[in-house]
Amino acid sequence: MYSQHGHALTIIDLPGAYSLAARAPDEAVMRDVLLGRRADTPQPDRIVCIVDACNLERHLYQVHQVMDLGRPVILVLNMMDMAEAQGVKIHVARLEKILGIPVIPCEAINGRGLIELKLAMSRQDLPLPKHRWDVPAAIAAAVSELQASLVDNDGKASLIARAEALLLLTDHDSVRVSGSTPLHARTAEILENWKQRWKQAGTDWASMLVKTRFEETGRLCKEVVERGAPPRKRWNSDKLDAFLTHNVWGWSVFALIMGLLFYSIFSLAEYPMNLIDGLVASAADAVKGAMAEGDLRDLITDGAIAGVGGVVIFLPQILILFFFIGLLESSGYMARAAVLMDRLMAHVGLSGRAFIPLLSSYACAIPGIMATRSMDDRKDRITTILVAPLMSCSARLPVYLLMIAAMVPSDTVPATTKALIMLVMYALGTIGALFFAWLFKRSILKGAPSLMIMEMPAYQLPSLGTIARQMGERAWAFLYQAGTVILALSVILWALATYPKSPEGTSSSEALRHSAAGQIGQVLEPAIKPLGFDWQIGIGLVSSFAAREVFVSTMGVVFNTQDDDEDTTKLRDALRQATWPDKRPLFTPLVCFNLMVYYVFAMQCISTLAVTYRETKSWRWPAFQAAYMTGTAWLLCFLIYQVGSRFL
Amino acid sequence: MSHEAHNSPAERVRLSDLTSGEKGRVCDLQGEANVCARLREMGFCEESIVERVSGNSTLLCHVCGTKIALNGRAAQHIVVEKLPS
Repeated sequence: MYSQHGHALTIIDLPGAYSLAARAPDEAVMRDVLLGRRADTPQPDRIVCIVDACNLERHLYQVHQVMDLGRPVILVLNMMDMAEAQGVKIHVARLEKILGIPVIPCEAINGRGLIELKLAMSRQDLPLPKHRWDVPAAIAAAVSELQASLVDNDGKASLIARAEALLLLTDHDSVRVSGSTPLHARTAEILENWKQRWKQAGTDWASMLVKTRFEETGRLCKEVVERGAPPRKRWNSDKLDAFLTHNVWGWSVFALIMGLLFYSIFSLAEYPMNLIDGLVASAADAVKGAMAEGDLRDLITDGAIAGVGGVVIFLPQILILFFFIGLLESSGYMARAAVLMDRLMAHVGLSGRAFIPLLSSYACAIPGIMATRSMDDRKDRITTILVAPLMSCSARLPVYLLMIAAMVPSDTVPATTKALIMLVMYALGTIGALFFAWLFKRSILKGAPSLMIMEMPAYQLPSLGTIARQMGERAWAFLYQAGTVILALSVILWALATYPKSPEGTSSSEALRHSAAGQIGQVLEPAIKPLGFDWQIGIGLVSSFAAREVFVSTMGVVFNTQDDDEDTTKLRDALRQATWPDKRPLFTPLVCFNLMVYYVFAMQCISTLAVTYRETKSWRWPAFQAAYMTGTAWLLCFLIYQVGSRFL
Repeated sequence: MSHEAHNSPAERVRLSDLTSGEKGRVCDLQGEANVCARLREMGFCEESIVERVSGNSTLLCHVCGTKIALNGRAAQHIVVEKLPS
């Protein structure tokens, strides 16, 4: 971004919080950047605090803490229009005069105030806040002593040292406050001495500090904020909240939304999917027509086009999923659903906070796992990270859809039946996630039941522009993956499935068996035969270890090698025709179902394991995650197949 | 003075024991210091006015101009003086 005078500005958008006393990992990032503790980010030379004008009193607390840092601060009062509608009047000029910093009323949604903000950010001569507040007398001496030690022993700048001293005294956990660099022994000793002294005197130092600050901001608000008549609109939103979080109505609405989501995945996506299918088939046919027969032609048609095309066809359905999730998030419904879920989550030992990461994991476990950064309880957070990949993500969608297509003939069975099978898979993953959360919270991650305190955002009309942008990003990420990773894997797989070559005249299934991929599959077969899977499915399981959707492209490559026609046949029909050596059909409904169950539970995603490692900073958790998930998948599929094949 | 008679000490209950539509003034936060600090930062300071809006075990309330959802375990830490609605 550029200033009004054309100078480049570097803006760092930090996670929102209520206080500098960070509790969750995302808040710790905010605190560390503001205190200049991070090696990768220099301390900002000016700080823009954006607060909700409707709730000035609450947000001034953190602004007050930020002003302790002795850096130029710009205060932005956003959503002034909403504040006015609620009868809140803020005397901006008076606030500016008292704080001594630029205060900018703003309505970001329609661009009001943005020029003024840019002008303020461009100013060379930003004033320092006129910040005077009296630390309670009982604590003032400790603050000075700690500040001096932080300057002398920990090498901090004077004002930063004061802010850190105040944080150390606000939070009972000094290890958490000091972050990655532990306190100097002398500073820690001073802190401990004071705490002992206060404990003996019965002084509650932490709450005294918080209270004094709140009194200070409260007094300030009395001077600058006038509250008019209470708004009438509030009651409507209260009624809607009561309805959406109601034990019966709330759950009905939730079920309706989920049902609608799955139904639209099947009904709305059909037309664009047929279109893509047609395009892929005609591309393959065009190559077949234009090139002479040979390995290179097969590489392009059976390797690249069959592999990539088999995955790209699911783009419309993935976009529908992201559209719904975007809609739920931006309308404010997600937070209400978290309240609704809190009761359910309490039974498994988590709070409603864990619900939002879990719901995001329906799209992809990676943003889901990253969303756990806002959870302050470490055990809850690790539990959520461990179970999040059990929520069926969009990469499983292609596998489910292919298996459902192979399981039930599409022409005679209505879309609702298929949606229902899909719903069963999603439910299975969700129940699995809740079960394992319950198990972990009672065994390896035992802890006190967690508290949920969550602000409810106001309802608003979903911003279609934002949702469209998110969908665009997702579509690009998906196509990029298809064009790179999946293309490469498809070509490698084609080569493995083609070489070493068999002598002329060998049937195509014999040739596959003879190939490198066939041999890998056969080594694996004894381990997966009890689940009803043969060596050809085994190739799919191995190749999709890195990413689940590769299973579909693998099936495309594996079963297309048996296709000697000039036309590219539909994969689903090829699967229906596949058999065991003794001519029994391979993809029976039971095997299709079992494969879906396998993909619900098995950990088949390298990226998720990498994110788990990054977020937990230990190889123990991703290793455990992979082991428990794939172990459960095998065990469950074994039981289903062994019991199912006796009865079916 | 008719309202002089009502000047008896207000009834103190936990936030979780208020019924929907009732208001209270926060008078005490109980429990671990960290929990109390978190509650204060979310607006449940001593003297602030809380109005319970809806919900059962997980409840919604207005405090400090915002709507906050708390579960029962969190609401138990907050002691309020009932105010006439």
